[in-house]
Amino acid sequence: MRRIINSALRWAAICMLLASTFSYAADANVQVQMGEKNASPRALEPLTERAVLRDFRFAWTSMAQALEFNTVDPLQGPFEGDAKQSLKNTVLNQQRSGITQRYGDQNHRVEAVFYSPEGDVLELHDTAEYQLQIADAGKLVHDEHVVMHYVVLMTPGADRWVIRQLQAVPHF
Amino acid sequence: MRRYFLLCAVFCFAGLMFSSAQELRLPDSATAGDDATIPTTGSGKATLYVVGPGISRKSDINLGEEIHLAGQDLRSAGAYLVIVCSSTCADATLYVSAAKPFSLAFILHPSRVPVARNDAVSGVAFPFDQFHNLVQAPQTINFELGAGKSSILSKSVRTQDGAAWFRASSGKAAGMVQVVASLGDISAKRALQQVASDPCNLRITGGRTKNGITVQTEPVHDCTGNPVPDGTIVTFTAAGPQGKTTVDAPIKQGVARAQMPVQGAETVSVASGVVIGNELRIGALP
Repeated sequence: MRRIINSALRWAAICMLLASTFSYAADANVQVQMGEKNASPRALEPLTERAVLRDFRFAWTSMAQALEFNTVDPLQGPFEGDAKQSLKNTVLNQQRSGITQRYGDQNHRVEAVFYSPEGDVLELHDTAEYQLQIADAGKLVHDEHVVMHYVVLMTPGADRWVIRQLQAVPHF
Repeated sequence: MRRYFLLCAVFCFAGLMFSSAQELRLPDSATAGDDATIPTTGSGKATLYVVGPGISRKSDINLGEEIHLAGQDLRSAGAYLVIVCSSTCADATLYVSAAKPFSLAFILHPSRVPVARNDAVSGVAFPFDQFHNLVQAPQTINFELGAGKSSILSKSVRTQDGAAWFRASSGKAAGMVQVVASLGDISAKRALQQVASDPCNLRITGGRTKNGITVQTEPVHDCTGNPVPDGTIVTFTAAGPQGKTTVDAPIKQGVARAQMPVQGAETVSVASGVVIGNELRIGALP
């Protein structure tokens, strides 16, 4: 009987772990808000905006997982092109150097600054606040609350918006 | 003796402070692909961490010597966090901006457009440097639409937040149009096929034959005189005492024809898409 209960508990734990890994809402600490400025020349409709914010949040959650656990798997899907390649390179370099990065308590304030006439490219300005922790072989070497500015290019994919460019700038 | 120990303690503390005293003074600006040098202060061994887009590096350095970051490591524009750790850690962020424009990402919509359609063509261009970084600094991009040697549109647009775009009406003549986005000596070309618009002044003629009636259109053109492409469907409808008969016929060599097996007096009408042509009355067989 005890063996059955233990087995059931083990499976429940595995299911919870998988659910937390693959769920869209994997990290409740990633907050994303859209600013009031509307995009031009095409307006961002409310449903599109909701989809963009959902996928943007998922992308940051995935990026944080990839950089914290040094795995490229979470990058499949939410990133494409140069953004994906750059993040992959970072993860591969981290695997070699033993460095990990942790992006905690993320808060993103996003402005849609450009939305192409046909709706195939969206440029966002993201003012991101987070607690950045960098560890070397598990030893914390850097812990800082940072405010960063990112220029983001997103395009619609088959079933989601994907990030193609993620570039930090000193200011907008 | 006590004084001796005190002096030693002061020297040891000062030595410790000296070996860990470090300050990072980063360059004011750095460009993607260029080398960067960061001077350090203090003395002794330290560990350098460089974490940025596409890079995560750890190496040993000597304090007091310059840190050399190779251009190859700084190819991606963005923020690079430089950390130097000995007994304590010092850090600074180096922002690397995109290099000069090297290529243009140019998206043109649509690839096929009817002639004389208002605001039917749009294009977006983003300048990128040779390392695929988006160039944020304002650039002037020229958009040109031309058919053969004649220019349909020429427009200079300054990039804003790295993007430049235009919207234009399609030209009046069917055929291939070349659309070029250029920035200095960099250019990106796209082809746009302008096709005839909806038929205009659709007219039919016809007459009775042994087996019914035969109707045909006059050569089908759009309102700017371009022949409507072969394959476009024209619908003929004959309405008479025995009801309605409808035949769809594709345009072949500019004209659509149909044979309708009806015997009584008929009124034949013609339509293509949303365009309706004239009506033709054909009497019954004598």
